[in-house]
Amino acid sequence: MPVLTAKQVEPELRRGSSTRMAVDVDPRFRVGDEVITRKMNPRGHTRLPRYARGRRGIVVRDHGVFIFPDRHAADGLKTPQRLYSVRFSHHELWGPNHDRPDVTRAGFPPINASIFLDLFDEYLESL
Amino acid sequence: MSKHHHNAPLPDTVLRVKALESLLIEKGLVDPEALDELIDTYETKVGPRNGAAVVARAWCDDNYKQRLLTDASAAIGELGFSGRQGEDMVVLENTPDVHNMVVCTLCSCYPWPVLGLPPVWYKSAPYRARAVIEPRAVLAEFGVTLDDDVEIRVWDSTAEIRYLVLPMRPTGSDDLDEHALSGLVTRDSMIGVGLPQAPVQQNR
Repeated sequence: MPVLTAKQVEPELRRGSSTRMAVDVDPRFRVGDEVITRKMNPRGHTRLPRYARGRRGIVVRDHGVFIFPDRHAADGLKTPQRLYSVRFSHHELWGPNHDRPDVTRAGFPPINASIFLDLFDEYLESL
Repeated sequence: MSKHHHNAPLPDTVLRVKALESLLIEKGLVDPEALDELIDTYETKVGPRNGAAVVARAWCDDNYKQRLLTDASAAIGELGFSGRQGEDMVVLENTPDVHNMVVCTLCSCYPWPVLGLPPVWYKSAPYRARAVIEPRAVLAEFGVTLDDDVEIRVWDSTAEIRYLVLPMRPTGSDDLDEHALSGLVTRDSMIGVGLPQAPVQQNR
């Protein structure tokens, strides 16, 4: 591997290296679709965090097509996959526990918060 | 070394970095001049002042703000900021009803071209674990208390999209120009764990 020189630093940083792919892949989901994330426990790399597996959310944005990192980490192959922003309610991810330590009793309304994750197409199933 | 103790790495880490650096240079895997250039870039050239310029422009120019919210990478590029760890940007607008904050629960993803390198707390396990489960409590520890009816949106940067929060323009800042406004924009307000500074009241 060639060693980075001082002169290359500025142009290399400015250029960056987007993982976006100029390939069209049909979206399986549309903005507004209700989805459930897969339950999975791969041995290797994934970008679907444990706390959001098997949870229901709503697609809020289609980011386009990117290198699928799970596969790229496994064998270096750059396979295209659609990436979506998916919104989950705090209650869906964490249940009735409350965000305020002074208010822990059951029956208190769920906190007014949502968590958004960027998730690849194959992490998701239709509801 | 940084004089900001709350951001300072542990002494063990410093020693380990020095040992790795000399080993990599000795084996010819790293050019020390390139290393100096990289460090200089993120110590003196690329940092949260870039993001502050973006925010101040959006506060002053509604057309720019619309471009920023529609295609953030291109709009940020208009001000000359682009590149590594900011290739695919999304800007999140705070409103009286919605407060956005950003975390990377998987590692430390952060929009370098506009904010520089992430602070130590952003990379720490407690922030990463707690931001998604008790955002209101985390915000309170940063000194931000929001009404219960303000919706908190936590953005977990799980893929290659990088997020920048567009905070609300502080009240009483109508008379300030773009440059003065950018001075009110803090790093934390663009991560969503802080608010911009209030303008200093002029004696009239």
